[in-house]
Amino acid sequence: MGGISFLPDEMPFYLTDGGVLRTMRISRTWSIVMYLPFLICFVLFLIVPLVYGIWISLHSWSVFGGNGGFVGFDNYIAILTPGNIYSTSFYLGLKNTLIFVAISVVPLVVISLALALLVDAIPKKLKVYFRTIFFISYAVSVTAVSAIFKWLFTGNGGYVNNLMNSIGLSPINWLNEQPYAWVSILVATIWWTIGFNMILFINALDEVDETMYEASSLDGANWWDKFAYITFPSIKGVFVFLTIISVIASFNLYGQTLLITAGGPAQSTQSLIMVIQQMVFTQNNLGIGSAMAIVMGIVMMAIVAAQYFYSFRKE
Amino acid sequence: MKSKVLLSVLLIVAMILSACGGGGGSGSSGETADGKIVIKYINGFTGGDGEYMKKITNGFNESQDQYVVEESQEKDHYTKFKTGNYDLVLIHSDNLQTYRQDNMIQDIGGVLETAGISPDDFHPVAKEQVTFDGATFAVPLDIHPMTMFYNKKLSPEAPMTYDAMIDLTQNLQEQDPNLYATGIPSGGLPEWFYMTIAAQNNINLVDGNHLNFAQDEFAEALMIYHDMIYKDNISPAGLGLDGEFQAFMKQVDEGGSAVQTATALTGPWYYQAVKEAYGDDLGIASAPQLGNQPGVYGGGHTVALPSSVQDEEKKAGIAEFLKYMYTPENLLNWADSGQAPTHLATIELVEQDAEKYPLAAQNVQQFDSFVGAPQLYQYREQVRYMTESVFPQLVGDEGMTKDKLMSELQKATDQAAQVAETAPQ
Repeated sequence: MGGISFLPDEMPFYLTDGGVLRTMRISRTWSIVMYLPFLICFVLFLIVPLVYGIWISLHSWSVFGGNGGFVGFDNYIAILTPGNIYSTSFYLGLKNTLIFVAISVVPLVVISLALALLVDAIPKKLKVYFRTIFFISYAVSVTAVSAIFKWLFTGNGGYVNNLMNSIGLSPINWLNEQPYAWVSILVATIWWTIGFNMILFINALDEVDETMYEASSLDGANWWDKFAYITFPSIKGVFVFLTIISVIASFNLYGQTLLITAGGPAQSTQSLIMVIQQMVFTQNNLGIGSAMAIVMGIVMMAIVAAQYFYSFRKE
Repeated sequence: MKSKVLLSVLLIVAMILSACGGGGGSGSSGETADGKIVIKYINGFTGGDGEYMKKITNGFNESQDQYVVEESQEKDHYTKFKTGNYDLVLIHSDNLQTYRQDNMIQDIGGVLETAGISPDDFHPVAKEQVTFDGATFAVPLDIHPMTMFYNKKLSPEAPMTYDAMIDLTQNLQEQDPNLYATGIPSGGLPEWFYMTIAAQNNINLVDGNHLNFAQDEFAEALMIYHDMIYKDNISPAGLGLDGEFQAFMKQVDEGGSAVQTATALTGPWYYQAVKEAYGDDLGIASAPQLGNQPGVYGGGHTVALPSSVQDEEKKAGIAEFLKYMYTPENLLNWADSGQAPTHLATIELVEQDAEKYPLAAQNVQQFDSFVGAPQLYQYREQVRYMTESVFPQLVGDEGMTKDKLMSELQKATDQAAQVAETAPQ
């Protein structure tokens, strides 16, 4: 290899063979070739769409008509300045999405942790069955989940109302009145996604050193002491990670509100993603839609960053 | 060594390029392997009517050695159309002005002339929907007005007036308090309900380039739906999305909480479902007259020519296909699906054989009093707030008054006016 380089032409690559450390040397060129597919895909499918999205948000851009010219920050000003249809839709979608984030993240994390603790406490032979049962809902598509819960919560003769009626309770108009519409969507979302969070918690619980529990028992620790001083600190990393991805997932609320409540009653479950979808595919306004998506991404990043720094501030 | 590296890089690049490559089945020339010119036709007929449209396109393809129609039936066909490359597109009549102003469709007059089809071959109300700004922008296919389905066991005759609705509901409530005359939904078809009552009260909602809902007489007319629920008990309260259809399909049971209606004012696309549920006990009628004069609102399908189609050979193929489709014997397939064709010669055949085409025969009778969507830019966005927010409040809030309604109608008007302003200059 000619030319000036800060890297050696050959780099050491360590392998273990029956406990004996061996060194294989591969050339720098080969190492580049090996990571090239990832790099190209990363640039093509992540960097390019992101940069292109920002570029479009700075233009007047129609889905069908294409680029109508550079408008600077006009799209951002339009969606952030109250008093026009774009900002009205944007703030409505943002408000509804933040409501869902606020009501969903705690149950999504806490219930999955409770389930994981329950499953972790049962005999090993049964554990695998319960783990599968709870996880299986995660494999169901959002369309099927929405159809099931729409049927369950239908106000006129739905399963839940029939059940309530049989025990003498008055029926509730679940899908057409607030806060019941949010409750229905929340229950559907928890049922659908709880398995994923639970599996990660179970894996984290498996990693906790059993001898610590034994030692704490000898010291007279009760269940809560063991959870607060051994279990939770040991799985805190996973807990924070799951809280962060639950926030991100809740921000992306779309299928459930589209299919269960269609954004109602009176647009109160219309999420920001639904607003962006309408902006782009109904109003053809890709410029405004992209600006909304970018602002949504910034809001998400700000919340996630705040969560991250708050969770690890002591460290 | 260098050749191995080069080979690896080439393989990676080839892999990525092949992944990025298009998957067009007919090639860039738009011809099949046997030299037939391909016409790509996209529509949204994913329901029961889809197979009847397929019958028409299959019939055309079998009759042809020069052209072939590749029909795509997609759930969200508008999105596919905007991001794809098609030669013929199905457009709802309320979308035509938007698609024209966004330059997505073009004047189809020349193609129609080649096909030997004239706008005068259609019912005047259908012709009016596709001809504007001095040109013809689509071929009318059908009109689907609000239709009344009724359960003959609960209501031997269709209640055609407000008073008949009151009588029916009183009669039913004596049998079971969970039985009602009809259902007013808060979601799904609100637009059909409020536009029908506007038509029946001769209220013109168009103000220049936008809809003006904030009219005193419109607010007064709308309150009839509130009265139907909270004053005269004609409809149960709290019916949600597609509630008019769901309540019609329910069966009340003693002590249960479910409510059932004797009639459904809904879209004709539910025909197969209600026919299956009620069989010979199903009755079909026009929308009742709740206002001062006859009038009914609904939708319509049209076939339009995308502005991207410039090739004369392709246009000739499209003309050939339209000529085949609009031959009355072929278009009868569409009536067989339950849709009501607007083609006058086909209407004649439908009326001659009303027993075979009961729904289509019933709905063509509503054409004379049909009032379609006005030709406004982004009409669907202009009505969004009215449909998704105002109407649900009207039928969901027992304490709704005309004054409260007027303030919401003003908001709906302001939004409609702002949407209209987004039209391309």
